[in-house]
Amino acid sequence: MEQLGIEPKLLLAQIINFCIIVVVLSKLLYKPILGMLEKRKKEIADNLVLAEKLHTEEEKLKLKRQEVIDAAKQEGLMVIEEAKKQASKEGKDIVAEAHKQSDETIRRAKAESERIYEETQMNIRKESVNVAAAMAKRLLSSILSPGDQRKLITMHIKEIEDFAKKQQN
Amino acid sequence: MPHISLAAERLGSFLGFPINNALVTTWCVMAILIIGSFCATRNMKEVPNAFQSIAEMVVGGLYDFFSTISGKHIQKVFPLLASLFLFIIAANWVGLLPGVGTVGFFRPEETEKFVPLFRGATTDINTTLALAIVAVVAIQYYGFRTVGKHYSSRFINITNPINFFVGILEIASEVSKIVSFAFRLFGNIFAGEVLLAVIAFLMPFIVPLPFLMMELFVGFIQALVFSMLTAVFLSVALMHGSENHA
Repeated sequence: MEQLGIEPKLLLAQIINFCIIVVVLSKLLYKPILGMLEKRKKEIADNLVLAEKLHTEEEKLKLKRQEVIDAAKQEGLMVIEEAKKQASKEGKDIVAEAHKQSDETIRRAKAESERIYEETQMNIRKESVNVAAAMAKRLLSSILSPGDQRKLITMHIKEIEDFAKKQQN
Repeated sequence: MPHISLAAERLGSFLGFPINNALVTTWCVMAILIIGSFCATRNMKEVPNAFQSIAEMVVGGLYDFFSTISGKHIQKVFPLLASLFLFIIAANWVGLLPGVGTVGFFRPEETEKFVPLFRGATTDINTTLALAIVAVVAIQYYGFRTVGKHYSSRFINITNPINFFVGILEIASEVSKIVSFAFRLFGNIFAGEVLLAVIAFLMPFIVPLPFLMMELFVGFIQALVFSMLTAVFLSVALMHGSENHA
């Protein structure tokens, strides 16, 4: 024992030293480090769960977005189709209205022109009757004698009286 | 020839208490471990700095390693096992530092005898024996604490003569554990230091380097063996109780 150097006091001192090491390291090293490792482990686990949840949410949102896009596309196509139909119908209506208006305008123009034509003819006739009467008056006054003129007037009065009698009957 | 002494050299005494060079080195190792732990954990952050990372790697690695042996009892026994490993590895490696075993003085009364100021803590049988006693006593303590008074049936069982004899063998086995723990560690590390001293005496340059590397490895292996065997014996003790309960 002596040759090996075993001394009870030193042995006790080393036992106490090691016990101090165990206690101090437990408080100073293992507890905080293991606590931190556990905390980090928990945080990582929580974050993984959260990430998984977010991933699922993202997938759902992607699907929803796709659905909305598809619906919007469908609706857009329908609106375009409807607009095309509406435009086509309105185009036809406008053309029909234009046709109608042009026909009306043509008809009115024709009527107006006919009226003007009639009026002009009437005026021409009147004018020509007046001219003929003036000419006849000048000719008759130079050609016929006053007795012939009286005979002619009497004949015409008689004709007028006959015409009037016929009208009365 | 280099000075080789099986027993640690006494440096003096304080109030009648003997102080040898291995005890001084033990205090240095304790200081290194305590200051290192304090520095590693004084300002802990979620994103660790280099020192905290190393501490986390070491403590986390040890925890995972001993978990494979101790299983559900790891929370209870981890401080003891990790302290055994850290203390032994630190003591073994500090013994390899320059100055340990080489810086000292000659006693005035015996001028021929060189007394080193520091000596590897685990090259003193008092240290290894103290560690062995703590380990074996802790095994019994955790056995009683976990299993209860029924744990004593492992050593004292008078149900039949065979069990009684087995109990005596168990007691002898526990005592032999102390001896084997103490002398395995002491023998390996002391032999390593002697080897290094002899090699350094014969070939002071370059040649000791491979041996120094080997001693670093031996220091690690011995710390691992000591703590791992303690973990295994602890598991056996705790399992013995649960088996008997079942």
